[in-house]
Amino acid sequence: MRILKYLGKRLITFIPLLIGVILVTFVLVRLLPGNPAERLAGTFAYEETIKALMERMGLDKPIWQQFLIYLKNVVQGDLGESWFTNNPILEDLIVRFPATLELITFSLILAFIVGVSLGVLAAIRPKSIFSRISSFYGLLAGSIADFWLALMFIFIFFYKLGWFPPPIGRLDLMITAPPQVTGFLVFDSLIAGNWAALQSSISHLALPVLTLGLTVAAPIMKITVSSMMEVLDSDYINHSKVLGLKENKVMRYSLRNSMPPIVTILGVLYGTLLGNAVLVETVFGWGGLGQYVTQALVNKDYSAIQGFVLVATIFSMFVYLLVDLIYMAVDPRIKY
Amino acid sequence: MKVFGDFWYALRQSKGGLAGFIIIMITLLMAIFAPIIAPYHPEQAVPEASRLAPSFDHLFGTDETGMDIFSRVVYAARIDVTIAVVSTIFSLLIGVPIGLAAGYREGLFGEITMRIADVVQAFPVFILAMALVSILGNNVQNIIFAIAFLNAPIYLRFVRSEVLSIKHRPFVEAARCAGMSNIKIMFKELLPNSLKPALIQSSVNIGWAIMLTAGLSFIGAGVNVPTPEWGSMISIGAPLIITGQWWSSFFPGVAIGITVFGYALFGDFLRLYLDPERS
Repeated sequence: MRILKYLGKRLITFIPLLIGVILVTFVLVRLLPGNPAERLAGTFAYEETIKALMERMGLDKPIWQQFLIYLKNVVQGDLGESWFTNNPILEDLIVRFPATLELITFSLILAFIVGVSLGVLAAIRPKSIFSRISSFYGLLAGSIADFWLALMFIFIFFYKLGWFPPPIGRLDLMITAPPQVTGFLVFDSLIAGNWAALQSSISHLALPVLTLGLTVAAPIMKITVSSMMEVLDSDYINHSKVLGLKENKVMRYSLRNSMPPIVTILGVLYGTLLGNAVLVETVFGWGGLGQYVTQALVNKDYSAIQGFVLVATIFSMFVYLLVDLIYMAVDPRIKY
Repeated sequence: MKVFGDFWYALRQSKGGLAGFIIIMITLLMAIFAPIIAPYHPEQAVPEASRLAPSFDHLFGTDETGMDIFSRVVYAARIDVTIAVVSTIFSLLIGVPIGLAAGYREGLFGEITMRIADVVQAFPVFILAMALVSILGNNVQNIIFAIAFLNAPIYLRFVRSEVLSIKHRPFVEAARCAGMSNIKIMFKELLPNSLKPALIQSSVNIGWAIMLTAGLSFIGAGVNVPTPEWGSMISIGAPLIITGQWWSSFFPGVAIGITVFGYALFGDFLRLYLDPERS
């Protein structure tokens, strides 16, 4: 019940924010010079054609009415058509979404493991080598361009050592994809019992996940260090130490209590990763949302770009909301 | 001069801060003296000299079209550092006054401002930047504008929360009793006392801006080829990676890494120097 009440409160701020975001994406395409109808009709179109098009697209109406039309379309899932693929944009995005989601989910899991373990080590031994490694890593990882790191990984692990397949797509060309159930190739091949596909999909995932995971681990590590230090300093931890609890039990308690800020940053990073994936997907020919949008950039397919911006933002907003709810369910101390 | 002396003394005490400062100076000098340092013209393609490995003639090798990578890395400091510094100054110029006003006038104005900031920050930064630049047109002004616009809410929040915490202090009340106008109170009393966190952040943000510019150029939504820019150079070299010519992408990426690292180190030092009680 607490959660429902909180959800209600959150929705009061969430919905205006959502409308604001839709307004921004609406304005975004309006920033383009010239008239959208003229652009669509081409340079040599008759005046009447343009006029008719304007009427059909609702461009003769006042701007606020145009926004309401756009809002209505968005709510109904109509993001327009891509003039490059000729498909409804939402359909294009949905087809490509699982590839990106698989990539960023595994990256986040790797980042979580690396970040939290380094962070915990640095927090419990503040004067040790771990602490210095972790603070150096934190600065360094934030300074490395992930798309560059991806290229270097390809050079070392594919070109030099030959450990991983060439950076094209999610599966070897010779392997038939398992039937789609979850959209995650790893899980789908497991479900289908297709071991060749499983192996191939994991080896294709390895490098991009390593790239994104290692760069995104840094902020998780920093939060873990500060949150863990605070908890280790608290009275109840000292108390349990005084009572003579075993060290690993104390550690388990303190890790659990330092989780909330870590969970929050995970939610934020999910959205950030969607942005970083645009670059890394291009490097690995991943065929997900990121590659779709870079193609749209090259083709000046503005409604596709607009649709992607909107979907990506709404996705990260929902993740954020979800994280808040989980947080709320996990931590009984929080009251709203 | 005393302020400067203090700063210099503190800087020499801090290894990281000094390293960051030196890196920043090197990139600035590289940008200013590019024509003297670079042995070749940065946009001169020499087809016969394409894909040469690093050697004494070409320190960092040459790329696909035979342009000298060392010269281009040096020249690129101009465009990357300019975009980063100018966009950060612009976002301070946008964010700081609005933050001041939003903190000083909390009511409806403050509320609306913060909701607008919420909306801007709801977008993943790279994604909105990419869309903005591609729609406004890929050129340096638009990249600067986009980065400035996207980072302004960060400063706005920093300044606003500082203003909220100091605006009921006696010195502000005293200024009001002395008959100072609201504008004067904001800029003479509140501004100097609420700028620190924003200034500290700006060093880190210059680094981010370099990263963002490079990322945009990498996917073709930034500076156009053949203008020397680190991100676009990495993208020119990308297809050569799987044929073994690593140098074309390697060096510009190292330049990005070192520069961003330098600004981050310097930002860390600034935090300790300007705001010791909070760090």
